[in-house]
Amino acid sequence: MADVRRIACLLVREQTPERESGIARKLLEVALAHSPRVEEAGAGLVYLDVAGLRGLFGDEGQIGRRLVRGAADRGLPAQVGVAGSRISARVAARRGSGVTIVAPGDDVAYLASAPLALLDLSAEMVERLRRWGLRTLGELAALPAAALCERLGSEGLRLQRLARGEDPRPLRLWAPPPVFEESIEPGWATETLDALVDLLARLVERVCQQLERRGFSADRFQWACRLADHTVHEGSFSPAVPMHEAAAITALLRASLDSRPPRGAVEAVTLRAHPVRVAAAQDSLTERSRPSPRTLAAALARLAALLGARQLGVPVLLDSYRPDAVIIDPSLHPPRSPETGVRGVTRAALALRRLRPPVAAGVTLTAGRPVHLRSDRLTARIVASVGPWRASGEWWTERPWIHDEWDVELGDGTLCRLAHDGSTWWLEAIYD
Amino acid sequence: MAISNESLPPPGWGPRGLDLLLDAFPTGQLSEIVGPWSSGASSLLLALVARATAPGGLAAFVDGGDAFDPASAVAAGADLSRLLWVKCGGRLRAAFSATDLLARCPGFALVALDLGEPWLMRREPIAPALCLRLKIAAEQSTAILVLRAPHRLAGSAAALAVSLRRLESRWIGLPHPTRLAGLSSETRILRSRAHPAAPTSGGLVIEWRM
Repeated sequence: MADVRRIACLLVREQTPERESGIARKLLEVALAHSPRVEEAGAGLVYLDVAGLRGLFGDEGQIGRRLVRGAADRGLPAQVGVAGSRISARVAARRGSGVTIVAPGDDVAYLASAPLALLDLSAEMVERLRRWGLRTLGELAALPAAALCERLGSEGLRLQRLARGEDPRPLRLWAPPPVFEESIEPGWATETLDALVDLLARLVERVCQQLERRGFSADRFQWACRLADHTVHEGSFSPAVPMHEAAAITALLRASLDSRPPRGAVEAVTLRAHPVRVAAAQDSLTERSRPSPRTLAAALARLAALLGARQLGVPVLLDSYRPDAVIIDPSLHPPRSPETGVRGVTRAALALRRLRPPVAAGVTLTAGRPVHLRSDRLTARIVASVGPWRASGEWWTERPWIHDEWDVELGDGTLCRLAHDGSTWWLEAIYD
Repeated sequence: MAISNESLPPPGWGPRGLDLLLDAFPTGQLSEIVGPWSSGASSLLLALVARATAPGGLAAFVDGGDAFDPASAVAAGADLSRLLWVKCGGRLRAAFSATDLLARCPGFALVALDLGEPWLMRREPIAPALCLRLKIAAEQSTAILVLRAPHRLAGSAAALAVSLRRLESRWIGLPHPTRLAGLSSETRILRSRAHPAAPTSGGLVIEWRM
């Protein structure tokens, strides 16, 4: 005799947004305690394959009550429906209270009296079916399929199959997320950062091999060091793009450890990767050649390890008159579609070279105009000057600024920008 | 000093000569721009950045002395969203390592190393091997790799060496100047592997405008 399909639907009656994430985990715990074949179908809803569980937990009524009790033990008011398909089980769980069993073969009859609203239709579809005078699933199931297809297309046929309890798709079985975690306890205390990085590099190698073997990349890595005083020192870092390249991740790890070195000797280390699937994408033939995100991320990781993560990125000009108002955005994600620049015409703009920070300077004035400059970088007679150009801003904040700018030419021809803030002269930039 | 009688600065679009000069920078080779402060060498470097980024290419600017001015790059026509700025804080060896790494990362249209601060050179001598390493990195890529320095560093490692010399500054305003309008500089090709005859040719005068 062929096995009869029996699906149980475990549904939480009341949900609040702040509890949703916890609800899914608790429902899965309850379901997996009864059946290994479980599908997570959204917030507060799981399906179980309960065929063949009689020997373990009793009949379907007993299984349903166990499920309700298990959910109640975790603080979840739940209802259970058991039927021959997922749609029938869900409708049974919604219509009934507690546990509702639809006997094998009775799905169509049970669904016939159920209101259409139980199908989770769109508002537009609800209105359309209401205009047709349809109220129940039975009325929808009784419509001629060809005529329904002419009016609603394939969606109409899908809804009609659901109204008839026809839901042959197998359960999408839930599987626990893979864990990519490696630990090492060398048996002695590691006291230098280099030795610790070497230790973690071995873990990186192993984790990356596991990720690659399973077709994953990782978008976040967490490391934890158990110190000799039995405290735990933790940190994390995220590559610019999900990746599984050990060399680049080791470089990032070193930068992360450099910024948060452990306070004492380390006895054991653990590295955990958060896996993500990365879909392969093909570049357009019409686009300019660009670094692949992974290659670029690996290069940026090595640069961050070499210079510090805050030392590289995309320059972003701030909306301010303050001199040198610029920040570095650490992410380099240039727009994909290239802008069409005009090749062959280039602006011959005179550039500034900034001195960061500006250099304090001694300036001699004659008749209110600078005539001599003396600083660590440049000392010379001033042969030409224009100014002062007053600039000010942010007087409405706690960091107001005001200064007078001068453009000057020194005796050797060097063009500089000087600024005077009322008390000190600054050599701000060189024209070049 | 030359004083212009123009009431407004002329449009900031360079002469055709600048475009010809920018076209001379070869891909897959190390090039060198040399000149003291106020010679226009940094302006030429930023014009190269603009040439690389404006049509959609990606450029990297390795800033040896943290002197890069993004506003000047925008004025030259660069697209900052396609520019990676790497600040080295005066660490010369780190700057060379970063440039080497970026030159070996495929996909960049331009990798620029700016060592235009004279005090950087005085503090730490540059070993010729560093430039040779850059030359090898450039030969393995399709990027324009360009080094800007106060004087020649790369020697024979550079396929193209361009020298800039300040001619005169230009000011606006009569009878007394009230604004800096720009400067003119003379550009000479000191070495060109692609056009060996180029070094003997005359200098090109470029007007850099505010």
